[in-house]
Amino acid sequence: MTVGIEYYVLLSMLLFCIGLFGILTRRNALMFLMSVELMVNAANINLIAFAFYHGNLTGQVLALFVMALAAAEVAIGLGIILVLYRNFRDVDVTVPTTMRW
Amino acid sequence: MEGVFDFAPAIAVFPLVAFVIALAFGKHLPKKGAIPGILATGGSLLLSALMLVAVSSGEVYHETLYEWAAGDATSATGVEGIAFTFGILIDPLAALMLVIVSLVAFLVHVFSLGYMNAEGETGLPRYYAGLGLFTFSMLAFVYADNLLMAFMFFELVGLCSFLLIGFWFRTKSAPSAAKKAFLVTRFGDYFFLIGVVAIAATFGTLQFAGDESFVAAAQTAIDDGGTLFGFDAQTWVTITGLLVLGGVLGKSAQFPLHTWLPDAMEGPTTVSALIHAATMVAAGVYLVARMFGYYALSPTTLAIIAFVGGFTALFAATMGVVKDDIKQVLAYSTISQYGYMMLGLGVGGYVAGVFHLMNHAFFKALLFLGAGSVIVLMHHEQDMWKMGGLKDKAPVTYYTFLAGALALAGIIPFSGFWSKDEILYDAFIVGLEEPVIMAAYAMGLAAVFFTGFYTFRMVFLTFHGEPRSEAAEDPHPVGWSIKAPLIVLGVLAVVAGAANLAPVYKLTGLELTFLESWLDGEYGAIEGLTYGAYGELLAYETGVVGTEQLTVMIAAGLSLLLAFSGAGVAWKLYNVPEPVVYRDRLGRVGDVIEANYYQDEYQVWLAEGVTLPLARAADRFDQTAIDGAVDGVSTASLFGSDRLKRIQTGIVTNYAALLVTGFIVLLLVLGYAGGWFL
Repeated sequence: MTVGIEYYVLLSMLLFCIGLFGILTRRNALMFLMSVELMVNAANINLIAFAFYHGNLTGQVLALFVMALAAAEVAIGLGIILVLYRNFRDVDVTVPTTMRW
Repeated sequence: MEGVFDFAPAIAVFPLVAFVIALAFGKHLPKKGAIPGILATGGSLLLSALMLVAVSSGEVYHETLYEWAAGDATSATGVEGIAFTFGILIDPLAALMLVIVSLVAFLVHVFSLGYMNAEGETGLPRYYAGLGLFTFSMLAFVYADNLLMAFMFFELVGLCSFLLIGFWFRTKSAPSAAKKAFLVTRFGDYFFLIGVVAIAATFGTLQFAGDESFVAAAQTAIDDGGTLFGFDAQTWVTITGLLVLGGVLGKSAQFPLHTWLPDAMEGPTTVSALIHAATMVAAGVYLVARMFGYYALSPTTLAIIAFVGGFTALFAATMGVVKDDIKQVLAYSTISQYGYMMLGLGVGGYVAGVFHLMNHAFFKALLFLGAGSVIVLMHHEQDMWKMGGLKDKAPVTYYTFLAGALALAGIIPFSGFWSKDEILYDAFIVGLEEPVIMAAYAMGLAAVFFTGFYTFRMVFLTFHGEPRSEAAEDPHPVGWSIKAPLIVLGVLAVVAGAANLAPVYKLTGLELTFLESWLDGEYGAIEGLTYGAYGELLAYETGVVGTEQLTVMIAAGLSLLLAFSGAGVAWKLYNVPEPVVYRDRLGRVGDVIEANYYQDEYQVWLAEGVTLPLARAADRFDQTAIDGAVDGVSTASLFGSDRLKRIQTGIVTNYAALLVTGFIVLLLVLGYAGGWFL
């Protein structure tokens, strides 16, 4: 018995919305990063589910790429957060507002 | 005379070299630049005389020397390709004018030694440089073989007159007079420029002579009966002719653009002599003579030329009657005499007009140099009421001046009589058939009386009677450099009339019309540029009173009678030991004439009352409507961006929210367009 493709998509959507919610409501930069990670993995679920559905490996390969991308993103994001902390003694994303009009 | 024409460019180049020398080294030269000027104009005179001899032996010269631009514009008459060139055209008319110009320029240079150098003027290198450039431009203008080249040197002549009229730039009046001369003539030249462009665009050529000339093209166009730029060919020729005439009216100081000339008296008297006799003012009339074939195609233009000429002759002559400054009287006489030339050319009297141009060059140069001599004698006093009694103290000046005055007044047998009479005769016989010309003739005839009067009023006030000031009792002596040019010109003023004794020919049949045969190409001419060729183009009918002899007698008798009565009235009023001012008896008429018929006032009013408000309105429109629209766009975008940039808060959460909102909106829009919600 196989699980229908729609459940995967629903799961992915759920995960994505949780991530989005985190980005829109959290002020902690680390939570931000985690939320982004959730959204990236929601996309990964989609990719793999569709790869399985179509019976080829294209989606899985792409998912590998996305993982690499996510790793790089986290590395940069953590760097930014470190600098943020060093400058503001805080990791609240609403504090540094100098880069505005 | 083979090869003499190879030296033709040198005629104009000599004075140009003198200009450069005077400008660059004038300060260090013994006579401050006078010597190169005299040598150069002397050389030009010599070469011009050689040209005259060569032309009289039957040769003519028409060469394109340099092509400075060529294009393949298609003209209205179908000529493809147009070239702008510098070329030289030496035919009988140009050769004659070259001699006149270089002779007068030479004598003016010599006279300047006594008038400027001996009087210790400063800035002489500038003066001689100006004279050199002036002579150069006029000579180049005279033998220009196409209209564009003529226009360029025409402009240069205007520039030189500006420089020389404003020679005493430290006074208040001279720079103002120079600016006025420049602006008024430039106003006319503006029309000239449009005319040049129009002719070039219509006929695709600007040549004066030959089969390729615009004159020939215009004639073909009229014969073909085609339309040019939506006009009938004849009308278009009239329009372009009138446009070019604008430049002529400005330069030759014809009504209504004559106002600059009396003010131009602010320049040195020698400059006035050059301007009036041979260069600036002569350029206008010479241009009409040069392209006479074109004007001959258009009877309307000719009638306008004749009428304006006749009117100006009378108009200026009346103004000359009340002037007290000797140079002012001469200035108005110049305007009046050029009016006669225009009248002569306008009635088809090509020979008469050119004849008067020549005679006038001699006697007006003489009168101006004579006036210069008087001014030196009088320790720089120009008011005739402070002169008197110079007759015995300066006999050379007196007798030469008298010869010039007799010529100007048109007293037989001095040169002015022959040419003026011929003009009036030509106008008379055409006038018998055409009422407009008759009116122009009547004005020209009336002007003869005033000419006689103001001329002899000037002579009597200056030379006769008792001295009326200390300066007049003890005049400053004048040297040979002043006397010699006066004597040369005095002799010419007496004998130059012999060049064309048309009345004698008509009465007795003696072939004494040398100038007419000269201009008719009996010695050599370029085809189409002869008196005979022009005569065939003219549409004028001529009439006679009784027989031709009787007509000649009537015309000559009338003008002589008027000249003598004018001179007689002046004799009666002013040839007394203590002349009195009669000016008050003229009453209000005198006031109007004294104010030059308020010509300056109305022109200033035109500039200040019409042009200036118009310019202001245009400026306001530009500042508000056009600049407003441009400014409005920038203001709106500045304001808009100032509002819009506020969404860039610097808070990452807001950006994420905007991103999501934008995505959702895009999704909704696409969905709506894709029909999901239907």
